[in-house]
Amino acid sequence: MGTWLPEQAEDLPADATGFDRAFGLRPDLYGPFREFYAVFWRDRLVDPVVLELCRLRVAQLLGCGSELQVRYQPAASARSAEEADFTEEPVLTDEMVDELAQWPTSEHFTDAHRAALAFAEQFVIDPQGIKGAVRDELRAHFALPEVVAITEALALFDGFIRFRLVLGVEGPTSLTVVDPSDLDAPLP
Amino acid sequence: MADDDAISGSVLAEQPEALVGFLRLYGTLWSHGRLPQSIKEVARLRNARVTDCAYCRSVRFEGAVADGLTEDRVVRIDDEYASADELTMREKVAIRFTDHFLRDPGGFTDADRAELLEHFDSGELVELAAGVALFMGFSKIAVALGPPPEMPTTVIPTPDWPPHS
Repeated sequence: MGTWLPEQAEDLPADATGFDRAFGLRPDLYGPFREFYAVFWRDRLVDPVVLELCRLRVAQLLGCGSELQVRYQPAASARSAEEADFTEEPVLTDEMVDELAQWPTSEHFTDAHRAALAFAEQFVIDPQGIKGAVRDELRAHFALPEVVAITEALALFDGFIRFRLVLGVEGPTSLTVVDPSDLDAPLP
Repeated sequence: MADDDAISGSVLAEQPEALVGFLRLYGTLWSHGRLPQSIKEVARLRNARVTDCAYCRSVRFEGAVADGLTEDRVVRIDDEYASADELTMREKVAIRFTDHFLRDPGGFTDADRAELLEHFDSGELVELAAGVALFMGFSKIAVALGPPPEMPTTVIPTPDWPPHS
């Protein structure tokens, strides 16, 4: 059972997730959702590492353990800082994930990461408090289209991690890497 | 956040692909869903009140008004909603669900679930949960990025996909 809902979507691939089985009950909505969600990674609307840090921090704040087991491939997930030194692509390192809750003081984050994470926390906890330094720091490190992308992505992370929690959607219990191009493909 | 024009004309236009993605999902949910529009509107307005998005509070969707969500019923979506004769039991359950979603999404009890399932089938609950996720997320965007100017209560077209010309 992928959720406490008494029904779940059927005729899905064997590797379908609990989220697929719950949201897939409404393929008319799940299809457009998947397309929308994929855009942020597929089109690289903003640095995928920033997206991943925001998504994981939202999951931490909302207490969603299963969401914390997911990584999106463009962030080249869970690589060590040592490995990261050998690539020009931005990467999400194990050290970043381990010290995510300590982002204000940890050496593993850039000023841009900190600006995005401060914004993400305020977005989840109290968006009315997004003003002054939080807003200025974000604008200092990101162009306006990137600010819009981060904000829309946060709306999706915040909203659909809660969706997962309220519907009791079961998720992976071990680290799972998702290729966002899979989200673009319709479910059978 | 509410009507297509206000959204399309907002700063969200800085990301046109994401904007189309949102409008497709939001229009489908509103105009091609299974839940009555009045139920979704009650949840949207409850979120607007809790999230404190002035713009979201001031707009009404035509479809919900046509569905019977008149202003004398809207004013009862307050903290005394449970005793409001003007609201149906399904609307009250939708408000309680919205409050849970916003304040304690992980805190559902077996009794909460049983009550939901007395009033909504599984597919309707998925639609309600997806709706509240979008209502909350996009009202937070309006608050975070600076909302459109406040305005008096205004009835606007229900979001649809493809959009009305």
